[in-house]
This record gives sequence, C-alpha cells and structure tokens, in this order.
Amino acid sequence: MKVKPLRILMYAVLIFLAFGYLLPIWSAVTTSTKTGEQVALTTPIQLVLPPYFGAYKIAFESLKRPIINSLVFTTLATIFSTALGSLAGFTLAKLLRGSVSKKLLILITFGVFLPYQSILIPLVRLISRLGLYNTIPGLVLTHTAYGIPITTLLFTNYYYEIPDELVEAAKVDGASAAGIYTKIILPLSMPAFVVTAIYQFTSIWNDYLFGVVLTRGEEAMPATVMLANLKGSFVANWNVQMAGALMVALPTLIIMIALGKYLIRGYTSGAVKG
Amino acid sequence: MRKSPDLPYILLFLSPALILVGVFVYVAVLWNIYISFTDWRGLLPSYRFVGLLQYRQLFHDPVFWTSLKNNILLLLLFVPGSILMGLLLAIMLDRRIRFESGFRTIYALPFALSFVVTATLWAWMYDPSSGVLNTLFGKLHLEFLKSRWITDPKIAMYCIIIALIWQFSGYTMIIYLAGIRSIPVDHYEAAVIDGASTWQLYRYVVIPQLVKPTLSAFVVLMVFSLKAFDFIWVLTRGGPGTSTFILAVQMYKETFAKTNFAYGAAIATILLLMALAVVLPYLYWSYRGEEE
Repeated sequence: MKVKPLRILMYAVLIFLAFGYLLPIWSAVTTSTKTGEQVALTTPIQLVLPPYFGAYKIAFESLKRPIINSLVFTTLATIFSTALGSLAGFTLAKLLRGSVSKKLLILITFGVFLPYQSILIPLVRLISRLGLYNTIPGLVLTHTAYGIPITTLLFTNYYYEIPDELVEAAKVDGASAAGIYTKIILPLSMPAFVVTAIYQFTSIWNDYLFGVVLTRGEEAMPATVMLANLKGSFVANWNVQMAGALMVALPTLIIMIALGKYLIRGYTSGAVKG
Repeated sequence: MRKSPDLPYILLFLSPALILVGVFVYVAVLWNIYISFTDWRGLLPSYRFVGLLQYRQLFHDPVFWTSLKNNILLLLLFVPGSILMGLLLAIMLDRRIRFESGFRTIYALPFALSFVVTATLWAWMYDPSSGVLNTLFGKLHLEFLKSRWITDPKIAMYCIIIALIWQFSGYTMIIYLAGIRSIPVDHYEAAVIDGASTWQLYRYVVIPQLVKPTLSAFVVLMVFSLKAFDFIWVLTRGGPGTSTFILAVQMYKETFAKTNFAYGAAIATILLLMALAVVLPYLYWSYRGEEE
C-alpha cells in the first residue's frame, strides 16, 4: 500500500485523540499510586515508581462495604431483569401477534426513554411504604423494574429473528408454550442472555440516582454513592479520590475490555434496528 | 385475540413485566403529576389540590430559566457534538486502520464508566490549583490556556459539555461503526465501479444509510441530556452559584435538599413533557417504519 499524506494525517489525528481520551484515566492511575507529597511535587501525568498503594488502602476502607452491596444487588437485579425480559420478549415475539403485541411492546419499552426524575418522588414513597427503604431488596426491586423495558426490547428484537416455523413445528408436535420456551427458545438465546446480562450489569453498577435517593448510611449504600461522598469529604486528597474512582470503575472496565463486543452489541441492537 | 391454549402462559410470562412496568413507570408518572398539583412541602405528604400554583411559581423562578437555558445549551452543543465526534471516529476507524480494535477500545472506554467515576476524574482534570489541565499547560508553556474551569461560572457549563462529549462520543462511534458495517458490500462495489470518489462514496452511499442510527442516537442523547443529573451533581453540585443547574439538578435540590416536593414534582413533570416531545414522534416513526 502506498503511503498517502491523508493517511498519515488520519493516524496523527487518531493518536492525538487517543491521548486525549486516555488522559483523564491515565492521570487517575498515576495520581492514585502516589503519596500525598508526591502528588504535590509531581505533575499528574508523571508516573512515580515504585507505586505507593496507601491511597488504595484508605479508599478501600470506605468502599469495602458499598462495593459488596453493589455486587450483590447488581447481580440479583441483573438476573431478575434479564429473566423477566426474556419471558416477556418470547411472549411478545412468538405467542402474541400483530397489533396487540406491538402496542404492548411500545407500552413496555417507553420506560427506556423515561427521565427518572419524573418518577423519583413516587419511587421513594413506594419503596418506603413497602418497608424497603435503605435495603438491598429495595434496590433489587427498583433496578429490576426499570431494567425490564430495555431487556424486553433486546429480547423481543432477538426473538423476532428466530424463525416462526420452529415454533409452529413444535406446536404441531404438541409442545406447550412453556415447553417451546425451555426446549427451543432458551438454548437458542444464550447470546441474547450474555448481551443483555452484560448490558444490565454495567448500567445497574453505574447507577447513582436510585442509589442516592433510596439509601442512607452503610447498610445498602452502592459503591457509586460512597465514591461521591468520598469526593465530598477528601477534598484535597486527590490520590485517595482517584484510587476510589478506579476501584469503582474496575468491574465495568474489565467487562468493557474482556467482553466489549457483547456490551457493544447491547448498545447497538436497539439503535441500528430501531 | 383468539382463545388459545397459550393464554395461561401468555399471562404467566407477561404479567411480571407488565405489573412492574405498570406500577413503577405508569402509576409513578401519574402519581408524580398529581403531586405537582398539590401543596406538599416538608417531609409529611400533603395531597391538598392547589391547581397550577407550583407551575406559576416555577415560571417566575429565575433558577428555572437558568436550568432551562443550560438544558438547551446541552441540546445545542452536547448532542450534535457527540454525534459529530462519533461519526468522525467511526469514519476514520472504518478506513482499514491498523490497531483498529485498540483505538476503538480507547475511545469507547469512557462510556463504560459510571458518571460518578467520570465526574471524579474530571474534577481532577479541571482542578484550578494543581489539576491536570492547568499543570499540563504550565509545563508546556501554554500559560494563556490556564483557566479556572469549573469554578468560573462563565465557562463551567462548557467544561461539563466537553467532558460529556468525551464520555458519549464512544457510544455514537459504536452506533455509527455498526451502521457503516451493516451497509451491504455490493453498494460499495457498485459505487466504485461507477467511478465514485471517496467523498462521493460517503456523500451518496454511506451517509444516507446512517439516517436511522443518527435518529436513534439523537433521541438517546437528547433524552439523556434532560436527565444528565449524576455527572453535574457530583462534579459541581450545580455551582458555582446556579451556573450549572439543569432541570434535573434543580428538581433534585428542591425535592431532597429543600423538601419542596410539590415544586420538585412540577419540575419533573416539565422534564417528562420535554422527553415526550422527543420520544413520541420517534416511537411513532420507528414502529411505523417496521410495519411497512
């Protein structure tokens, strides 16, 4: 291939932008591995070796419990919202047909676009009335409910692609809807489960709004909420803040790097198919 | 609906989703709208109907107009900014670039992060005394670029917009890459055989195929810009003063800091109406398109 000036320019732009995109993350990594004194004496982009992990220790003390909380409610809400989305998607795509199915799908998926501020006060009242304020089950219920619109959309779109003939043939053979779901649909929908579960885990882990209005104190507080508190309380300790931020970012960063293509499929399947 | 042996299963499979969405979305939305017509102030609920009182107050509240102005600023700068940046990245990455997946991961990385995380990172970027940007500009002898960033009410909102574009252009890039790659190869080949230049290829083959992804990205970003609460709240708390308030921030402050629930509910209802203005035409358009 001939080297064209336009290509060189393009690589230059790509590399320049890559530095720009990485700068906040890079400076977080370098700052989090310095002592307070080193933070003051070096620039944020300088890496000091050997790294100092004291800031991580301090941040971890505060974040330990919230990280466990987040892992627990995120996992449970991911499982529930994915399972319910799959059942609803199967029903909408394969059991119900025509305009009833379309209307129900629109009704359910409207929740994808809902600004959560417009349900926030009733949500807090509802969760308090149920006795679930400041509890893990309260967060699980909330995230399950608000996960269903997107999981149903993802699964319905996926199940549209499975040929109706497969379902019809099983029906002729006398299979019930439950039988069709467990014997035919479930084995075929593992990719959709992976995509949806990864998408849900990431979004629930990253949530702040529900966590901040539904919890108070340590018992159920999510990691994102604690990180925001950390930012408020350690105003000058940038190394501790950056260590905390990276710890809270770790699960989603791992998912992005290891399973990025599935996560990306989750983001795009809604958008490209409409 | 014809009566079928499937009916019990339809009810069984669909009812958990319908009940949860019914209560948490639809009942909650109506409940919130009702609260906006009451005089509920303070921690104990009051459901006394006062008509449009809260809305009248809102329209005389200068903070409301600041918030609305900032919401519009997000719509005008953040939404097109993220879309253009994502399109630029996608087009460059599609030109058979070496290390494409590496570049792609780097640009998409910010989108995987929580807003609380990115707000914390950008607080360090924008810190006026020892923060990343000012130190960097100092070292590079670009003193004139130093700034008070998020502590300067005149530019704080723009600082937020830049950080949000940083976080969201990875999303639009992904959408566009998927869109570009789903264009059938024979479309390209036909254009190349017809002697199309690269520019013409994009102008007449690629860009027209990206209408659908652009529209969905628009809707997602516009709805997001209405509720971009987490990032702003953690980064600036809406400050300095009220300079970075958006409606979602004002709603949160009125409701949970000032326990002015009815007022907060009114702001939330206006947010809902703005979202509906974007989403309903989109839903209508996209589901009609599918039926054709």
